[in-house]
Amino acid sequence: MAEEKKSILPKGLRDFYIEAGETTQFAGRFFREILFPPYEFREVIRQSYEIGYKSLPLVGITAFIIGLVLTLQSRPTLVSFGAEAWLPAMVGVSIIREIGPVITALICAGKIGSSIGAELGSMKVTEQIDAMEVSGTNPFKYIVVSRIVSTTLMIPVLVVIGDAISLYGAFLAVKVKGAVSFTLFFHQVFEALNFGDALPSVIKSFFFGFAIGLIGCYKGYHSKKGTEGVGRSANSAVVVSSLLIFIIDLMAVQITEFFGLI
Amino acid sequence: MKEDVAYHVMAPEQKKYGDPIIEISHLVKSFGDNHVLRDYSLTIRKGENVVVLGKSGCGKSVLIKCIVGLIPYDKGSLKVFGNEISEIQQQELDELRAKIGFVFQSSALYDSMTVRENLEFALRRHGKGKSRTEVNALVEETLDNVGLLHAVEVMPAELSGGMRKRIGLARSLILKPEIMLYDEPTTGLDPITAKEISNLMLKMQLKYNTSSIIISHDMHCAQLTANRLSVMIDGINYAEGTFDELRKMNDPKVHAFFEIL
Ligand SMILES: Nc1ncnc2c1ncn2[C@@H]1O[C@H](COP(=O)(O)OP(=O)(O)OP(=O)(O)O)[C@@H](O)[C@H]1O
Ligand SMILES: [Mg+2]
Repeated sequence: MAEEKKSILPKGLRDFYIEAGETTQFAGRFFREILFPPYEFREVIRQSYEIGYKSLPLVGITAFIIGLVLTLQSRPTLVSFGAEAWLPAMVGVSIIREIGPVITALICAGKIGSSIGAELGSMKVTEQIDAMEVSGTNPFKYIVVSRIVSTTLMIPVLVVIGDAISLYGAFLAVKVKGAVSFTLFFHQVFEALNFGDALPSVIKSFFFGFAIGLIGCYKGYHSKKGTEGVGRSANSAVVVSSLLIFIIDLMAVQITEFFGLI
Repeated sequence: MKEDVAYHVMAPEQKKYGDPIIEISHLVKSFGDNHVLRDYSLTIRKGENVVVLGKSGCGKSVLIKCIVGLIPYDKGSLKVFGNEISEIQQQELDELRAKIGFVFQSSALYDSMTVRENLEFALRRHGKGKSRTEVNALVEETLDNVGLLHAVEVMPAELSGGMRKRIGLARSLILKPEIMLYDEPTTGLDPITAKEISNLMLKMQLKYNTSSIIISHDMHCAQLTANRLSVMIDGINYAEGTFDELRKMNDPKVHAFFEIL
């Protein structure tokens, strides 16, 4: 419990700093616990299935629609410049660099972040976490570490699959309006892309995944008593992790620029 | 009431109890301004059942959570098997916890696991080297003890409150612990099931010589299972003694607990 000292900061700001500090501590504990055995491999695999495989339909559908719509919307502008031939290249770069990772991560923040927050919250409230602890299992390892590892590994996979589906959606949108073959479309896309586009976006996806898992687990693990607390955990897990995704995105663009990859 | 009890084994008279297993002395625990345990002392010996009585919210659950190290205490001493709980390392604490069965007031069943997996969870951690058939036999034997053998593949959400309670009990009994901490094991059960559970607690005591702390408002359960009772009032061990000793006591605060009988 934080001491109720007189503070020069307004309450909201102070709470923000306290929470940021606690989240950092939580992350620190994650890195400490992940280093030492026992490792909960079975739980990681089970969670990866829950988190990765079960999000696939949702990620696939959104990715497809985004690819399609983005292409349809960009087309008139490019046509008015007479640059219609650039459409595959432009859409490809936007999807791979930015839209694919961010949309996928946001969808996952909504789906996975909230479910982790609610699940851990209700486990906390109904004393299941305590029960695990007295049965000699480290609940942090079993519950938190396995989930954060799973999201960190699964979000990049989902992003790559989402990118592919998105590009296919874009291809269909181009094809509807004009004759373009599958090979020609993807030839143009990959011509425009290089390593410096793909690598940073995959790397930042790992961070997106980490943020989603971390915030979901933190919010759930520190859930307040009562069903209201569980709802609030789920809700703020989504809000905070979505915000964090944009912040990471902003930092990622600065870093890639610094390394001259843009 | 007298004849009602006569059908059953009563807890053995307080005599041949062994060494102290749990020694609580001058325990203090506050949550901010909420002083829950003020100066609580109690000793539980080998093979003894001690019932802790107390009003709702007086800190009974907090007390037994301190014993398993779920809640850190502020002051005083709490020794289990001679180990001071606040001083031992995590690994020793885990080894100690393997010898302690804890029945949560809220059952605390794992929602995402079937009843079988709930029971196996602790076995996976502590019952190393047991074969599949041994584990199955143990699970079925334990479930049979609480009369819920048919519910073995059911998810906790499909169980009634009383059934959850009994599964929670079975889950803590499966490791045949040396110490049992029951947090209101019979609350919310019908009188018949409550009596069955009380008898089960006695059976565990006689068969495995377990030492138990039983938190209960259920005076019938207390009468049946207790070798000794402790009345917790305002965070201290206000009165202590056998059921009959406390019943005869003149103190109005103690007497209040016995009025319903
Ligand atoms: N984790 C906690 N944080 C803050 N206060 C707590 C916590 N756990 C318990 N308390 C407080 O400690 C007091 C005692 O709670 P406890 O759960 O031990 O009561 P109890 O004697 O078990 O009551 P009941 O018979 O209703 O279960 C209550 O006032 C409660 O608000
Ligand atoms: Mg209680």
